[in-house]
Parts: sequence; C-alpha cells; structure tokens
Amino acid sequence: MSDRAIVLAQARMAILVALRTPRTVIFTIAFPVILLVLFNSIFNAGGNETTTLPSDVKLSAEAYFTAGIIAYAAALSTFTTLAVSLTTQRENGQLKRYRGTPMPPWTFIAGQIIRAEAQALAMAAVLLAIGGVAYGIPVPASTFPAFVLYLLLGTATLCSLGIALSSFTPTPDAASTVAPFSVVILSFISGVWIPVDQLPQWLEAVGRLFPLYHLALGLQTTLAPAASGSGLEAGNLAALVIWALVGIRLASRRFRWEPQASGA
Amino acid sequence: MSEVAISVRGLRKSYGENEAVAGIDFSVSPGEVFGFLGPNGAGKTTTIEILEGYRKRSAGEVSVLGVDPGEPTRPWRERVGLVLQECELDPLWTIREAVSLFARFYSRPRDVEETIELVGLGEKRDARIGTLSGGQKRRADVALGIVGDPDLIFLDEPTTGFDPGARREAWNMIEGLKALGKTVFLTTHYMDEAQHLADRVAILRSGRIVAQGDIAQIAGTIGRSTVISFELDGKLTVEEVRSTLEGDVAVAGGQVEAQSADPQRDLHRLLSLAEERDAELHGLEVRRPNLEDVFLELTQERP
Repeated sequence: MSDRAIVLAQARMAILVALRTPRTVIFTIAFPVILLVLFNSIFNAGGNETTTLPSDVKLSAEAYFTAGIIAYAAALSTFTTLAVSLTTQRENGQLKRYRGTPMPPWTFIAGQIIRAEAQALAMAAVLLAIGGVAYGIPVPASTFPAFVLYLLLGTATLCSLGIALSSFTPTPDAASTVAPFSVVILSFISGVWIPVDQLPQWLEAVGRLFPLYHLALGLQTTLAPAASGSGLEAGNLAALVIWALVGIRLASRRFRWEPQASGA
Repeated sequence: MSEVAISVRGLRKSYGENEAVAGIDFSVSPGEVFGFLGPNGAGKTTTIEILEGYRKRSAGEVSVLGVDPGEPTRPWRERVGLVLQECELDPLWTIREAVSLFARFYSRPRDVEETIELVGLGEKRDARIGTLSGGQKRRADVALGIVGDPDLIFLDEPTTGFDPGARREAWNMIEGLKALGKTVFLTTHYMDEAQHLADRVAILRSGRIVAQGDIAQIAGTIGRSTVISFELDGKLTVEEVRSTLEGDVAVAGGQVEAQSADPQRDLHRLLSLAEERDAELHGLEVRRPNLEDVFLELTQERP
C-alpha cells in the first residue's frame, strides 16, 4: 500500500468518526448555520444596516456576519476538533498503537488535517450558499480568489494551532474546554459576533493580536462589493503566516504519541 | 528468520536513581511461545516496551529479529506485531473498518476477513467497537496486532478481565498463532495461562530474572518435582515404599507424598509393588510442579 492510500484511509476514518459523533455534528456543523440565520435575522431587521471595516470599506451587515461566521465555523472545524480529537486519541492509546506499526507518522497527521480542511471548506460553501440564497450576499468575482486564499491560509494556520494546543492539554476534557472556549472568547473581539468598529479600541487591539481577527477581516473584505483590487491585505496575510509558523514550531517540538496523563 | 528471535544481554534501564531493569539476559527462539512473568513493578512493562521499540535502554545489547529496537525501522515494524496493554480503539469504528485501516499500513497484510475470523469476531465484523464486550475488544486488539502477518507477536496481558470461556478461546487462538510458526512473547498474571501456553518462561523480580527455562526446570531449581501421593492401607509399609522409590517420601496421617524425578518409572514400580501385595492405592494422584507455587516462592518479598 502506498503512503497516499494510508493518508486517504486515515482521512476517511476521521470523517466517519466526525459524522458519527453527535457532538461534532451539532456544535461544529449545525451550530454555525443556526447562528448565521439568527444573526442575520436579529441584527438586520431594517435591511439597510451597513458596517465599516478598519480599511473604511463598507459592506452590508449580512455580508459582515456571514464572513465572520464562516471564520468562526472554520476555527471550530480545524482548531477545536483537532485539539480535542488528537488529545483524545493520544490519551486513549490510539496514537501509541499507531507508532507500533509501520505507518509513517506524517500520514496520520495528514489524514487528520484533510478531515479538518474538508469540514471547514464544506462549512464555508454551505454558509456562503445560505448567505447568497437567503440574504442576497454577492461574492464579487474579482475578490473570490482572495476569499479562497484567506480560507485556505486561515484554516491551515488554525490546523497548526489546534495540533499545537493538543500538546498542551493533558486530557480530552481539558481540550474540549480550552479549545471551544478560546474560540468563543476570541470571536467577541475578532469581528465575528460584534463588528470591530463597535469595540473599545484596546479590545480591538487585543483581538488584532490573534489569527481569528485576521481571518474574519480578510473574508469580510473579500465579501464587500466596494472592495477595490484583489481584496488581499498584507497585514492579514502576514499575521496568519506568523501564527502558522508558531503553530508548526510548537507542534513539531511538543507533539507526543504516548499518553501523558497516565504514562509512567 | 534469524537463529534467535529475541536476544537480550545485560539489559539495564534506570529512571534517575531507580533501576527498573537491573541487568537481564534471555533469548527467545523462533516459533516459541515465551512467557515473561513477574509481579507488578518487577520491570516487565519497561522490558517489553524496550523490546517493542517504545523506550530507549540505559545499557546492554538487545536484538529483536536481528534489529536493535532502539532504532526501529519501517521494515522491522512490518515483521513485529504488538498487542499493548490499555490501548483503546475508537468506539465509533467497526471492527472491519479498524482492521482494514491497519492492513493498509503493511506491504503484505493478511486477508482482513480471514483475520477477523481467526480472532473469532466474524459475526461482529460490522459492529462498532464501542458495543463490544471487554473480551471482544481484546480480540479486536489481537486482530490489529496480527493483520500485518508478523513473524513475532508481543502479547501484553492478552486475557486480563476475561471470563473463563473467553480465556479458553484466547488460548486456542494463541495456540493457532504458534501453529502458524509465529514467535509469541507473552506476559500474563495468570500462571495457569503461562503453564498452558508457554514453552519456556522467565520470572522477573525487582528488575532481575530469578528463574528461566521450561517449567519443570524452574521447578527443579527450587527443589520442586512431580509429587505422587496416595493413602497407605495396611498391606504396605512406608519402608517398602521408600525402598521402591528413589525420591524423598514423606508420610503424614497415612497420606504418602513421594517426590519423583521420573514419574513414569516410579509409578510403574509403585503399581507393581501394590499388585504384588494386593494393596489398594486409595486417592492415587500425580501432581506436576505447579507454576503458581513456583512463582509465588520466587517472587514473594522475603523479610
């Protein structure tokens, strides 16, 4: 069997497990869809709300929230699920068992990342489709490549951080508390639930330190009909790349295959 | 296959001040079932994890299928199957999915369906692992350990928590592996299991091997041999029994216990004597040395 076949088999198993876990289906798949509908219904009763991005680009509230919730769903699909599932598989001995086989370690990690990316991209497609059909949010052709690039780079960054977080969480309980909690908290200061122009300046400055802010802002910019050019901004790209490097560095130095909580 | 499956010389492993394995030597021949026994904390897990390639040793020479397990390679992993302690499987996988996944890791795996049949889970192949009993889960572990068709299989406490029926089935399965020519390195807390399955055993105590060999040899080293016992009736005297048999003969309350190095010869002599005298040997019993007695004697803490 080729290594590629192992990667695909690992990805398939990870997808099967995700679909068979009610918690994953509810919190990382159904929840963002419900939030999208709720936000667009609550905050745009009049239909004419607009939001202004830090770059002074204006866009409708629906487009703003749709892009923000796509970023939120991407974080759940990658960062949260990877941190929880890798911690669980390490602590119950599954990773140790893999290490006792000829399976190349990278094929397992690649399979997990493919699952996370597939879930994040499928969620983005669904949310974008709902936004387009139900709220008439256009996806400008000129900025669509930038939308895809932000999504790919942002999810890659969040994958590396999720894998890195799993090396700090000793138990599945710890992972499933820390990961979703940090995503929810960051969402408040990253323009997911509340437009960043409504935040106190210092809170926005804190949000700006973290990758979710830049993923959300990047996606929001590319969904603004008034955006000029490609929609790419060096600041957002640089922040995502730096966080990706931090995640890769931590993950490659700290990742363990043997249980940590009970290991002798 | 090489001349020896496992060779260990002067193996040591220290954790700080504490020496978990304090210099042990043993070897395992191809096709053999080798029982590695010892109480908790004797250094069994440390040793087996060094042999499996999970831990680095502090000193000594170790060769497993001709390879140093301190530097595990992919071709070596192809030939070594592991059944670990306390390793769960994803409860949401079915048995067939799990075995198929693991089969992909090997270049020449066993047939997936045949492997599932071999461990006796044929009827459960599409059941999720979370719905299985403890014994069935352990058999799934064994299926994953052998699906790569390894030459050498480590079975670390394969039947812990089994009911007697499940244990018998597991024994049959392990005997099946031996019949396929596999080498089996077995750890267990059940001495009847080791006695039933192992060709040879090593007994570990406080990081040292206190006895090794086949079970009769080990029993011999601590002065235990086969015991022939029966009740005296009036037609035979202890003196006559003593002069007929070569081993020690003890009598307590009419019950004779004769140690025998050659039970077949001694029984023959005893029965001939009884026939001559027209005596009845009530409660005649031949007891082979019991591994559990030997184990307890060798591993109990002495004051």
